[in-house]
Amino acid sequence: MAFIEAQSLSKTYTRHNAPKSGGISRLWRREIQQIQALTDASFSIERGELVGLIGPNGAGKSTTVKLLTGILTPTGGECRVNGRTPWENRREHVRHLGAVFGQRTQLWWDVPIRDSFLLLRDIYDIDHAVWQKRLDALVEALELGEFLNAPLRQLSLGQRMRAELCGSLLHAPELLFLDEPTIGLDAVSKLKLRAFLKEENRRNGTTILLTTHDMEDMLALCSRVMVLGRGRLLYDGALDALLRQYDTVHTLRVVFEEAPEIAALPAHVTRDGDAYVLTYEPAKMPTSELLPQVLSAGRVREMTLKEQNVDELIARMYKEMAL
Amino acid sequence: MNMNARLRSLRPYMTVFRLRALMETQYRAAALGGLVTQVFFGLVYIFLYTALYAGNSPEMLRDTITYVWLQQMFFRMMFSSDGELTNLIMSGGVAYMLVRPVDQHRFWVCRDVGGRLVGAMMRLIPMLAVQFILPRELRIGLPDGWLSLAQFGLSLLIGCVCLCELMSILDAINMKTLDKRGVSAILNLTMMTFSGNVIPLTLFPDGLQTLIRYQPFAQALDAPIRMYQSCAALPEWALTVAVQLVWIVILRWIGRSMWQRRLDNMTVQGG
Repeated sequence: MAFIEAQSLSKTYTRHNAPKSGGISRLWRREIQQIQALTDASFSIERGELVGLIGPNGAGKSTTVKLLTGILTPTGGECRVNGRTPWENRREHVRHLGAVFGQRTQLWWDVPIRDSFLLLRDIYDIDHAVWQKRLDALVEALELGEFLNAPLRQLSLGQRMRAELCGSLLHAPELLFLDEPTIGLDAVSKLKLRAFLKEENRRNGTTILLTTHDMEDMLALCSRVMVLGRGRLLYDGALDALLRQYDTVHTLRVVFEEAPEIAALPAHVTRDGDAYVLTYEPAKMPTSELLPQVLSAGRVREMTLKEQNVDELIARMYKEMAL
Repeated sequence: MNMNARLRSLRPYMTVFRLRALMETQYRAAALGGLVTQVFFGLVYIFLYTALYAGNSPEMLRDTITYVWLQQMFFRMMFSSDGELTNLIMSGGVAYMLVRPVDQHRFWVCRDVGGRLVGAMMRLIPMLAVQFILPRELRIGLPDGWLSLAQFGLSLLIGCVCLCELMSILDAINMKTLDKRGVSAILNLTMMTFSGNVIPLTLFPDGLQTLIRYQPFAQALDAPIRMYQSCAALPEWALTVAVQLVWIVILRWIGRSMWQRRLDNMTVQGG
C-alpha cells in the first residue's frame, strides 16, 4: 500500500449567499449554495516523493491539503496516510506532519523565535537532546543563527519564511505540506529554500507535497505534478511530459534592414514596432526549414528565437482545460 | 499512564503558559498606561463612596475602599483579551493551530491563564507602590492577617482558572461568529456588574447576597476579596473554594463541548 492513498475524495462546502432580489427581507432570507470544492479525486503517493500540486485559484488545492492533514472531513471518499485516516484521529495523525502555510505564521510574534521553537519541542514531545541536535542542523542549513534570539516581528520576510520552515521541520515529520513557501521571497532566498528542501527530501526521505503558483519552484523541485481544476484532478504525472505536451508554439522575432516580402514567410506574422514576430509550430514546420526562408525574405539585421516560458504554458493549459 | 508520562504530556500546556507570561512582560508601556487608568478610576470610585457615606459607618467605607483597590489592581486579570484566537481564524492561521497534536481547549485556557496572571502582576506591583504615596484615608486596607492573605492568594489562582474557562466559552462563540465585538460588549457589561467592578458585590442587598456570591462571575475576584477582608473559618473557606471548583468543572464541560463542535465544523478560510 502506498504512503498516501486517496480514493474518490470529495468535499462540498455550503455557502450562504444574500438573495439577489428583495429589500428588507434580505435581513432574514439567505440562499444556500453548495460549492463542490473537490470531486472524486483519487491518487497515491509513495514515501519520499516530491509532488507538486498546481491549478488556478479555487481549484481545490488547499482543500486537498486540508483533507490530507485532517483539518477537514470529506463529504465522500476515503484516504489513508501511512495507514491512518487523517480526520478520524487528528491528534495522532498531525503528530507526524509538518506544514508551512505561506502568508501565515505559526511562530509567536512578540517572543524570540527560539522560544517558539521550545514550545514546538514540548508540543511534539521531542527529547531535549534530539531537539537540540535537530535545531542546530536546521539553524545551520537555513542560516538562522544570527536572529535566533530576535522576536519574529523584527525579521524580514525571507528570514521569517526560513524560521517558519525550521519550526515545521523540528519534529522531523514524515510528510511535509508546503503551501506557497516561496511567496514574496527574493531570488536568492528562493534558490536557497529550494536547495534546502531538496536536501531535506534526499537526506531524510521526507515526503513533500508542494502547492505553488511559482512554476520555477515546480521545475526545480517536483518531478511529478498533479493539476487540479474546478475541484477535479485533471493530470497526474511527470512534469516534463506535461510541459512538452503544451510547448508547441515558438516565436521568432526578426528585424529586417528593409521591408521584406511578407507573403513569402510561412508562419503567422504580426508587427511589433519595426520587428516582425513569427509564430509557428515546430512540429509542423521545423525551425531548420523556416530559417532559410526567413533569410531569403530580406536582409536580416537581428533575430531572436523564443520558446514559451512555463507560465505561458500553464496559462495555455488552463485555457485548454477550460478552467 | 505512569506519573512521568503524565507529567510529560502536560509539558506543552506548562510551556504555553510560560511563553504567554513571558510575552506579557514585553508590554511594559501598556502596563504603565494601565497603571495610570486604574489608579485614576480607583480614586474616582473612592471619592464617590466617601461622599456617599458622608462620614457615616467609617468601617464600611474602609472595606469598600479596599474592595475598590483590589478590583482595580486585578483589572487586567478580569478584562483582558489579546484576540489572538479570532485573529488566527480571520487570517487563516488557524490551520497551523489545527495541525498541532494538543488538546486545543486546554492549550488555550493555559495560555490565557498565563497572560492574565502575569498581566495582573505587572500592574499590581506598581499599584501597591502607589499606595504608599496616597493619604492614609484613601489607601487600601491590610488583609485580615497572614492566613487571610494566603487564602486570598490561593483562591485568586483558582478564580483565574475559573475565569479563563468562562472566557473559553466566549472564544467558542467567537469561532462561530468570527467577530468578537458583539458578544464581548454584552459579556463585558455583565461581567463588570456581576464581578463587582462597578459596585462591590458586598454592597448588593442582603437578600440577594447568596445569589450574587455563588454566580460564576463572582468566583474570579469577589470570592478572593472576601477572604482578604475577613479571614474565613475552615468550613466557610472550604465552601467558597468548593463553589469555585464546581464552577470550573461546569464551565469547562460547557467550554470543551463547544470547542469540540467548533473545531469539528471549522472551515479554514481562503488560500
